[in-house]
Amino acid sequence: MIINSLNITLSIIIATCLVILQETISNISWLLSVDMPVSFGIFISTYFNNLLAMNLSGAVPLIALVAVGFLIAYLVTRIILIWVNVPRPYAYGFAGATAILAIVLLMPLAFYNLDILAGGRSIFGKSILTFYGLVCGYYFGKTLDKQRAS
Amino acid sequence: MIKKIFSLFTLILFSFTIFSAEQEYKYQIIADNLSHPWGIAVIDNNNILFTELSGQLRLIEDGVLNPESIKGVPEVLFAGQGGLSGIILDPDFNSNNKIYISFSSPDEGRKTNTLEVISATLATGSLEEVKTIFKASPSRKTAAHYGARMAFLDDGTLLITSGDGFNYREQAQYLDNHFGKIIRINTDGTIPKDNPFVSMPQALPEIWSYGHRNLQGIVVVDGVVYENEHGPMGGDELNIAEPSKNYGWPAITYGKDYSGATISPFTEKEGMEQPIKYWVPSIAPSGMTYYKGTKFPEWTNSLFISALVPGDVRRLGMSGSQIINEEILFSDLGRIRDIATLPDGSLILATDGPKGKLIRVTNK
Repeated sequence: MIINSLNITLSIIIATCLVILQETISNISWLLSVDMPVSFGIFISTYFNNLLAMNLSGAVPLIALVAVGFLIAYLVTRIILIWVNVPRPYAYGFAGATAILAIVLLMPLAFYNLDILAGGRSIFGKSILTFYGLVCGYYFGKTLDKQRAS
Repeated sequence: MIKKIFSLFTLILFSFTIFSAEQEYKYQIIADNLSHPWGIAVIDNNNILFTELSGQLRLIEDGVLNPESIKGVPEVLFAGQGGLSGIILDPDFNSNNKIYISFSSPDEGRKTNTLEVISATLATGSLEEVKTIFKASPSRKTAAHYGARMAFLDDGTLLITSGDGFNYREQAQYLDNHFGKIIRINTDGTIPKDNPFVSMPQALPEIWSYGHRNLQGIVVVDGVVYENEHGPMGGDELNIAEPSKNYGWPAITYGKDYSGATISPFTEKEGMEQPIKYWVPSIAPSGMTYYKGTKFPEWTNSLFISALVPGDVRRLGMSGSQIINEEILFSDLGRIRDIATLPDGSLILATDGPKGKLIRVTNK
């Protein structure tokens, strides 16, 4: 139970860090495209600033948003797995991807079609974020498998 | 006769005043229960046109709100920040009755919309000779950041503020679209030959300046164009706008994104203009007027900026185009959407929201 909780928390933290990475890359890469003097140091400091600011001083703490999405998706997946025989990493991978995609698609509906996560405005950005959700969900499913095997 | 009685009754009903022992001004509510009042155009001391975001054009006639809205206003998209927005009188309004109105216009058969500006002649109770003179391109899916304020330059050309559409902020740096720009056109919709980017291939010739976010106030004072714009979370700006200049958004900014993310770590760059003032945290500046009146001598030569957050008016004392002080006024009225000066030196404030008011600030 404790290990499970730790793994859930870890997958949420990793997902949050990856979403923030995408946000940072999206903003910084555009700045580079218009010849702003972005160095590697600026990129790193911006990323770490974003890690703090997007969780502490944004309109909604990102980690809370990701946590709500993941917890709902994981819970639904666990129920479905009672009846459906699908390898856990794939099932939870799908759940993670769905959670992030839902966040990216539903948030604009609450804000007049405004994309609050700038890194998810384009189809490419949405795809990247969804992929990150998939990776984190897959990781969680793998840890469940490992636990059961041991 | 009935109209006069009705007018008198309305005047008595709504014209109560609130006095303050400390202040040298008083409020006089001239209209209330307004549906999101947004833009004000002053005809004279007793006649004021104003827009309601939900789509009505209203008239204060001889000091009293006409209960009937003016007919002939085009269909608007009333959603998010969109709706019937800016209004300005033609410089020769007294002889030609022409007005200009900006609004968010829905694209027929599509889920997109855009900023549109019309010219029209104000007849009794209706608009006539309505003509579209500007439509921002491309359209947007969002209902936010339209800009939609207007001002006349001394040469009679019309400046229109066009916001970045929120989701399209990077477009403010490119000249092939109208997001995040100040537009300059003639009043018939044609493009002045001396616009700064007329001869630049791939640039839209209406563009006058660029790199703006959501410009909510613009005034021209002795040939100097002042514009204010909303920053994101922090970084609201007051700029002196000049042709061909780049105001930097979103490559440089003093604000952060609503998510908390850094939009840009840079606040300045060569070739990009600095604001003459910025606010962190945000005040959400809305309308703007320059006060040259003498009713309040201590306010003469001040720039008044109405603000939505937390809701007040910023008076910036000016010496030429230099800001010499800042004073917070009218912070007891809530969110203020627009501000204008009457010829007699009173101020008119429009409070924001579904039960907005038009309030005259006059001396005791």
